[in-house]
Amino acid sequence: MTVTPAVEEEVVVAAKPKKGFTFPGDETNLGIIAGVIATIIVLIPGLPAVIKAVGMIFAFLWGMDSVRKTSKYGLGTGVPSIGVLATGYGIIGALVGAACAHVVGSIGPVAPGVLGGVVLMAIVGYLSGVFSNHEKIIGMKIPKLERGMMELGMAGTIGILLEFSIVAGSLDFGLVVEKAISSGLVAIMFILGGMSMFHPYNACLGPDERRERTMMVSVEISGLLSVILGIALLVMGSPWGIGDGISLIIFGALVWLVFYRRFIQACMKECYATVGTGLIKTLG
Amino acid sequence: MPIEVVLLFAWMLVIAFLAFIACTFEDLESDTGSQSNPNSQVQLAAQVGQVNRFFNKAISGEPLSNAMYSATAGTVAWVLLQKFEPLVPDAKWKVAILAIPLGVLAAAMVHVIFATTAHCGRTAAQKRFEQPIYLDVLYGHLLPIATHGFMTTFCITSIAYIQSNIGYLAFGLENHPLNHPFALPLLCFIWGITVGSIGSSTGDIHYGTEREFQDRPFGEGKRVVYHGKITRYADCGIRTQRDIVGFCAKFGGPCTGLTFGLIILFENYRTLVGMRLGGFLSALPAITRPEEMFILAGDLAAIWGIVVGLLIGIALTAGNMVLVKWLRKRYGPFVGV
Repeated sequence: MTVTPAVEEEVVVAAKPKKGFTFPGDETNLGIIAGVIATIIVLIPGLPAVIKAVGMIFAFLWGMDSVRKTSKYGLGTGVPSIGVLATGYGIIGALVGAACAHVVGSIGPVAPGVLGGVVLMAIVGYLSGVFSNHEKIIGMKIPKLERGMMELGMAGTIGILLEFSIVAGSLDFGLVVEKAISSGLVAIMFILGGMSMFHPYNACLGPDERRERTMMVSVEISGLLSVILGIALLVMGSPWGIGDGISLIIFGALVWLVFYRRFIQACMKECYATVGTGLIKTLG
Repeated sequence: MPIEVVLLFAWMLVIAFLAFIACTFEDLESDTGSQSNPNSQVQLAAQVGQVNRFFNKAISGEPLSNAMYSATAGTVAWVLLQKFEPLVPDAKWKVAILAIPLGVLAAAMVHVIFATTAHCGRTAAQKRFEQPIYLDVLYGHLLPIATHGFMTTFCITSIAYIQSNIGYLAFGLENHPLNHPFALPLLCFIWGITVGSIGSSTGDIHYGTEREFQDRPFGEGKRVVYHGKITRYADCGIRTQRDIVGFCAKFGGPCTGLTFGLIILFENYRTLVGMRLGGFLSALPAITRPEEMFILAGDLAAIWGIVVGLLIGIALTAGNMVLVKWLRKRYGPFVGV
């Protein structure tokens, strides 16, 4: 299997802005759309890496939106911590999911067992949200924390599962442990997957933050992650041959280029002023 | 003492030296990008009316960002090593000389990309405080950020390569591999988090006593609203981070490097001395011995290591107490307590 240009175009077009941005405006809508697309892709572990990367982008976009939702009330330095928590959920959930898939087996190309990990992390996330907010336990009283934590657990798990499945070529437990964890690649998956969830909101933090602008950073980082996973795939080998890694690198580079350019342009246009140089405002 | 044991101690010193360089440059890099030292000031300065010409590099805190650069470098270097080591099976080190800088170069590129998104994103989010994006500030800081980050990541990746399961300590000692279990990217990740944490917690002299509150003993007691002032004027003209790097390179950077280097030195020293005292190293052909003896030597090595570590800890604590007592006697109590 070589490059699949149709998919690349589809993704870029699907999330491409016309005037302003056309990411789904509502948090719930985005969660449902991204969650369903990513779940369908994660259920079929035999797909080429490029399609899995599309699912990964959606999963991390969802995760980023959950981080934003959870942190919006005024969490400052805690934004990265929330994202790391999501990635931690993700690693555990992905391992549980791969183990469940091993036990349940697959129906044709579909491996329904992976959903075990997603459901488990949804429950764990929800419970941790409840415990954190419950007056008798920790009593942080953060609005929407329960839902945010649940979504973080699910998005993180699906994202990490897709990363595992890109590198290992399937979700067979032994292969995942051998190719993704023992090789050490889990480190880059953890940190860049996490970065695409927590860096956007952390980087765009401020009173004039705009959700669509923040989302562009998430997609851009997922593109970078795809490039690096593609490079790793060249060594790990794939059932689809060498074209799998190369197409993933090209796809990631394209996604990165489009969204990085748009983000920087949007920032320079929307900030107070973009000047070549200048002195600072003298205080009265 | 067998030459292999001497070599182990020599490698420990190499690692400690690399750690010293890594953390020195890590601290200076975080000053260039205002990630640690004047970070809070940069975030708040515009909001309290202090428009500034600082670079706002908010890449999720130093530990995570350094983990990212190092993990990226480690992954790319690992891929290149896997790809090209079979070509020169007799001299694998030749591949490392090529692979580690190339991996670190990739990490530096990722670093620059993240730095631009953070600066532009944060400045755009402060529109209502009339903070513009100065393009010369944006472009002018990227190269110092990339080069300082390159040095850090290079040293960290080298340490990880020496220690990992493909490095010298695993195979270089003839017939006596130490079999370090961790893979290169994973070690890079762990070392990256460590170097970022130390750099974040140590050596913030610009934020603290030496610059902002020079007129106060021990630098205490100014209201938060004045903190933004640190971002505005330098000794001559308007301040940017390049002034801060020059300032911190004299004391704060080396101080941070020394902290990290000493941690690495003492940690490895106690492990190696423990192994030596426990009889693990003196009889290096350990594999030929009965397994019970091998396990016993390992246990003894661990016990000795812990004892030596405790001794070092006690010595450091006592030394620190003596120093602080002398300081307070010499310069008086902390102001503001």
